[in-house]
Amino acid sequence: MAVTIPDDIFFASITELNERLRKKEFSAVELAKAFSDRVERLGPKYNALALSLRDHARRTAKDVDGDIKRDRLRGPLQGIPFGAKDLLAFPKQPTTWGAKPYAAQVFDYTATVLSKLEKTGSILTSKLAMVELAGGPSYRYASASLTGPGLNPWDTTRWSGGSSSGSGIAVAAGLVTFALGSETSGSILTPSAFCGVTGLRPTYGLVSRYGAMALCWTLDKIGPMCRSAEDCGLVLHAIAGSDHNDPASAGKSFYYAPSFARNLKELRIGFAPVDFDEWAEPSARPDFAKALDTIRSLGVQVTEAKLPEFPYGPVIGAIVSTEAASIFEPLIQSGRVNELADQKQIAGLKAGLEIPAKDYLKAMRIRSLIQEAFRDLLSDVDVLLAPSRTTPAPKITQPLDRPLNDRPAPKERGLTALIPAGNLAGLPALSLPCGFADGMPMGIQLVGRPFAENTLLSIGKAFQERTDWHNRRPPV
Amino acid sequence: MVPMAEPRETHNQKPGGKLTRRQLAAAVSASAVLLAQPATAQPPAAPLPQNPDEELKAARDQNRQSAEQLAKFSLPMATEPAVHFQA
Repeated sequence: MAVTIPDDIFFASITELNERLRKKEFSAVELAKAFSDRVERLGPKYNALALSLRDHARRTAKDVDGDIKRDRLRGPLQGIPFGAKDLLAFPKQPTTWGAKPYAAQVFDYTATVLSKLEKTGSILTSKLAMVELAGGPSYRYASASLTGPGLNPWDTTRWSGGSSSGSGIAVAAGLVTFALGSETSGSILTPSAFCGVTGLRPTYGLVSRYGAMALCWTLDKIGPMCRSAEDCGLVLHAIAGSDHNDPASAGKSFYYAPSFARNLKELRIGFAPVDFDEWAEPSARPDFAKALDTIRSLGVQVTEAKLPEFPYGPVIGAIVSTEAASIFEPLIQSGRVNELADQKQIAGLKAGLEIPAKDYLKAMRIRSLIQEAFRDLLSDVDVLLAPSRTTPAPKITQPLDRPLNDRPAPKERGLTALIPAGNLAGLPALSLPCGFADGMPMGIQLVGRPFAENTLLSIGKAFQERTDWHNRRPPV
Repeated sequence: MVPMAEPRETHNQKPGGKLTRRQLAAAVSASAVLLAQPATAQPPAAPLPQNPDEELKAARDQNRQSAEQLAKFSLPMATEPAVHFQA
């Protein structure tokens, strides 16, 4: 007799789902089918689905059921349905990079992160939509994607954020239990904040990028987007580690060990009051204030901090534009770049080919100083705290390269450049849902020292034990 | 890569907080309004490019402005770029 999968299952944590599978409340095949049905039914409604992998999911789930039957238990991810941003190679199926010129692209190998997850018994049900070429140097409209603008499950007139748009939507709407996204500068943190999910940007080099589309060799990272900090820890545990196929691999592993995390009372967290009091959208300030209070209630030492003065925007702009133009030079020279959806991205790629070497090298030399300055800053504090985004998700028709409001800019910069700065320094970051503004989710980000993911996750876990923002569901 | 710069880093703002000529012209004609605003009011946004040529020009202008800002930043001669070749 067929088992009916209750709706709660679509929003359950990894640990809970895995326990229920082991108790045989339902089989992995039944679970995979339910998630495949859901992602095929609701994914297109939000422009979140690039490709359903129903047949692959059913086959994998059958193997998982066999293993569970024989007590071959492989850990908490066994039997868990997940989705992957459509820039990760999966053999014999299209990997479109969200872009029309690559719509028919098929690889014959598997990205390292997907191979690692396969070994845990987790079940890839779908490839998820993304902004074309992960955003390239820049883009103007949410519609910059082969699948159309990512529609936010909390309000479909608003953007999901990008470039990991489908990953954010799919987790928020319960279409997958977790997803993989990628970040060059903000592409995990932004959709996590806008969609109300928990996203982890790992330290540069901790997770292999073999088999992932390259946008910017010196900045690209792959990371988990989940319901909770704990789930992010479990997924990172599985995907992190050395890989000789990735020249930037740091050769380090990650073991999610919340029980061995540092005592929160020993931690110093730096923040800038101006971020929360003046930069933040007025409607977001009450929940941001409560989030700060909750952080303080954890027993951590909270102190004021400010970012070292650097031209973060021009530095990251020069690096991404130059590397992206080099990577996509064949696309640009062939003229097929004109098939992209976003005019600003087309122009940015073309103009990127003209950036002189001296500008790229100057940017990379300043980046060395940024890294040094962050080493100093993070010897004074353990973690930096700021809003993930200071405004809620914009309308899908709004130009993204124009100010989202006409409020006067505060005199102090605060930590508002933390996304480009943290990416330039290669630092890990965790975005946590922390409330709502205008009915849309808002998030805070924690940024730590290189390879200090366990510290961020322990704060995130403690924060989520005291709040329920991460358990809120959109009106799917 | 997310294009959404925080407000202080608007793409149409010249290095050092200076306005572009177009923005300056708009600012002069609306000086009465501008005077009533706080000193840190955001400059008016430039019009969006209307065709691929304008778009390419805007992208080149953006790169040039970034280069100008990078050029202003003095570096110790010994500073190496954040990439390392390993034999």
